Amino acid sequence: MEAIASPRITCAYLNTYVGKNVIIVGKVIQLRGEEALIDADGNITAHLNREAHLLAGNGAQIIGKVNPDLSIKVLSSMDLGTGVDYNLANSVVEISHQHRSLFA
Amino acid sequence: MTSYGGYQRTGYGAQGGDDGGGFSVGASQQGSQSGGGGQRNFADDTLRPVTIKQLVDCKEPYPGAELAVDGMPTTQVTLVGQVRSVHPQAVNVTYRIDDGTGLIDVKKWIDAEKGETNPRYAPDTYVRVFGRLQSFNGKRHVGAHYIRAIEDFNEVNYHMLEATYVHLSLTKGAAAGGAGEQQQQGGGDDGDSMFVDGGYGAGGGGGGAGDSAAIQARLSPCSRNARTIFNFLANTPGDGGAHLNQVAAGTNLSTKEILAGAEELLGQGFIYTTEDDETWAILDM
Repeated sequence: MEAIASPRITCAYLNTYVGKNVIIVGKVIQLRGEEALIDADGNITAHLNREAHLLAGNGAQIIGKVNPDLSIKVLSSMDLGTGVDYNLANSVVEISHQHRSLFA
Repeated sequence: MTSYGGYQRTGYGAQGGDDGGGFSVGASQQGSQSGGGGQRNFADDTLRPVTIKQLVDCKEPYPGAELAVDGMPTTQVTLVGQVRSVHPQAVNVTYRIDDGTGLIDVKKWIDAEKGETNPRYAPDTYVRVFGRLQSFNGKRHVGAHYIRAIEDFNEVNYHMLEATYVHLSLTKGAAAGGAGEQQQQGGGDDGDSMFVDGGYGAGGGGGGAGDSAAIQARLSPCSRNARTIFNFLANTPGDGGAHLNQVAAGTNLSTKEILAGAEELLGQGFIYTTEDDETWAILDM
C-alpha cells in the first residue's frame, strides 16, 4: 500500500515541509474570500478551495500542500466547531515529531 | 525487539501452566498478572490503540504468526482516522481510513439481521474503529467490530497521544504510577487499567522472578529505566544473565541509560554482575 502520510504540523514546521502534504489544526482568524488566516502556533495563510466552508473564530483542520511562500494550497478543509483544544493539538504535533516511527 | 517479544510470550505461556492458572475465566483480563493465561490467544487479545502507520509497518515475528507491533502480538486494535473512500459490497462495506500517518482498509461486515439500519460514514468523517487486525494475501486490513463517528475533534488528538503512550510504555517500560505499574502492584484491581498487557512488568512476573507483585513493589523507588532493565533480565533464560548489548537490543535503551540503570539496581541489590562488569543477572530474593 502506498504510504501517503501527511504529517501534522504547526506554523513552526512549515519551512521543512515545502512541497509536501500536511495536516494543520488551528483557529480561523480571518476569512478573505478564498483566503483564510489560520493560527496554529503562528499565523498561516491558506488558499481555500471552492468546497471550503470555514467559519472565522472556529477551529479548522486543513489538509494541503505547502507552497514555497509557506502558504498552504488547501486540498481538504473541515470546520471543527468551537470546542477545539489548541494546546492539545500543538502538543500532538510536537509529540508526533518526537516519535516519527509512529507518525511518519 | 521482535525476537524478544516472541521469547517473552513463549516463556510466559510455558511457565503460566506451572502456576495452575489454566483457562481461568477472565483470563483476558487478568492473564498478564496472575500468570493464568494458559492459552496464548487469550492473553494476547489485547485492545491496543494504534496509529495506522504502526499497522502498515508492523511485522510478523515468523510467517503465519500474529502480527506484532513493538514486539507485542497485536490482534485487536482501536484507531481513529478520516474516511477517505467507501466501497459498499454485498456482505461488507470497505472504508479506506486515513489518520495522517498512513492508509488502511477497514471492513465492516453487514449484519443481515439489522438490515439497512447499519449506518454509513461519509467521506471526510472522523471515525473511531474497534477491530481485529488481519492479514490476507500479504495485504492488511482491519475487520471492524464497531465503528462510530467522532463527535468531539479532541478525541482524535487524544487517540494520537494514547497510541504514543502505549508505544512508549511497551518499549521503555511503564510510567511510574501509570496503568502498567498499578496492574503489576495491585494484583487483583484490574479495574484501574484499560490495558491487558502490562508491558515488561507483566512478562517479568511470569518469567520466573518469583513473587512478582512484591518485587515490583520493591522496585518502585527505582527509575523507569532501571525497572525496564530488571524486567528484561527477569525474562532472560539461564543463570548467566544478559550482556549490555543484549539488554540494549531488548529494551531500546541507550548504553548510557543501561549502565546508569544497572548501577542503580546493583546498589539496591536487585542484580549482580556475572562474567564481567557489563553482564548482569537477577539476584534471587
